[in-house]
Amino acid sequence: MTDTTTLDPHIQELLMQYRQLLPIYEQMVEVIPEKLKEFFADAGFIIAAVEHRVKTEASLAGKLQLKGSKYNSIHDVTDVVGIRVITFYVDDVDKVASVLERWFEIDWENSIDKRKVHEIDSFGYLSVHYICRIPESSYSDPEHPELNRIRFEVQMRTVLQHAWANMNHDTGYKSGVEIPKVYKRNLSRLAGLLELVDDEFSRIRRELSNYRRQVQKLVASGNLSEVLLDGDSFQSYLQIGPFDALTRRIASINQAEIHPVDLSAFLPLFQAMRFKTLGDIDALVKNYFDAAYQIACFQIGLTDIDIVSSSVAPQNLCTAYILKNGGGRIGLKLMLDMLNGPSEGNEAMASFLLEQTKDLPFMNQ
Amino acid sequence: MNINISRENNTITVYFSGRLDTPAAQEITPQMNALAEEASNSIILDCSELTYISSSGLRIFLMLRKAAAEKGGKIIVRSITNDIRSVFMMTGFLNLFEIH
Repeated sequence: MTDTTTLDPHIQELLMQYRQLLPIYEQMVEVIPEKLKEFFADAGFIIAAVEHRVKTEASLAGKLQLKGSKYNSIHDVTDVVGIRVITFYVDDVDKVASVLERWFEIDWENSIDKRKVHEIDSFGYLSVHYICRIPESSYSDPEHPELNRIRFEVQMRTVLQHAWANMNHDTGYKSGVEIPKVYKRNLSRLAGLLELVDDEFSRIRRELSNYRRQVQKLVASGNLSEVLLDGDSFQSYLQIGPFDALTRRIASINQAEIHPVDLSAFLPLFQAMRFKTLGDIDALVKNYFDAAYQIACFQIGLTDIDIVSSSVAPQNLCTAYILKNGGGRIGLKLMLDMLNGPSEGNEAMASFLLEQTKDLPFMNQ
Repeated sequence: MNINISRENNTITVYFSGRLDTPAAQEITPQMNALAEEASNSIILDCSELTYISSSGLRIFLMLRKAAAEKGGKIIVRSITNDIRSVFMMTGFLNLFEIH
């Protein structure tokens, strides 16, 4: 406990109120971050971090010594409980603010958007500070009704703004020592640079979202030859189930159960087969459907196997494509190496596949 | 069908021997279900003496794989013969397992 005997009686009174409320403050820094994380998860936000702290008595005493006369009671000090929400993207700061507005009561008179206080030619601390209360509709504890009356501060900023604020803090703010102008200028320059970087991250995210939407639209409309083959487009393509019809046909040979698996592993194989667009995969399905089915009939038709993985369809399509395009044993071995990882066993399986398929009708058409 | 299970540190090795057909799969299911409870460890399925695997056998391997994925463990299929390997390949399950 801080030695407060030399302090003004009014400050001593405020500190006594603080000590009485300390268990509630500590409960608040447990409850609020958990509620926030819940709200963000419900809203689908990915947040970098939620930090919290209760102002220490020493820190509060320091603040009251400077500004104690403006507070009638400890309830007028709005940052005893402090929460900080750190986002990855600058756009998300406003989203976080909207979540807070929905679930908490905002004391607008005491809240501040530091982004709006800068002149057009100044750069520095950017953060949104809301002074809030928890309404009973969001959380209540019958044993501690004061919890719904105490205001607390929520700071919202990006990871980069957070880094800058910490650097600025360490370099002089609150130290009481005036730092030379040249360092202040360097910090301002850095703030300007980080603001640009934050905007760039957001721009890249927006463009990527637009690209994904565009790809999904093209895939849905069937303009597959216009869509370049990459990780995003392949995932969108897989969502329309391009191999499903063939998989069902193969499974029907033995009325087999289909075990669904992730087909992402086929992307590098298709790229190695020099497929440039989703249209190339679409053509593979159309042109090699019967060949892939013939392979499956030969392989499992005379067995009692009644379970197949969903990867059997693209695997057989690639097998047929490689064989019909002169890839031979080496091509099949490369395919198996790419799908299953390199191993000596793949050599034997390539020979096995070659032997199995050599007399199938598609090989002689 | 015989199975032997050995434990060393955090690794459990299951030695399969003979035919893992439907009756054999039913017989070993209780032991495999118990093994799935320990799937936070590395589980090696030694197939060097395994001569045949049916769909029911494949389902046991898949069940262990699922349990390992949920519990953060790992399934390794070891010393697989080409006959068994071809069953895994024909059914599209070869790339689901780490095969040594």
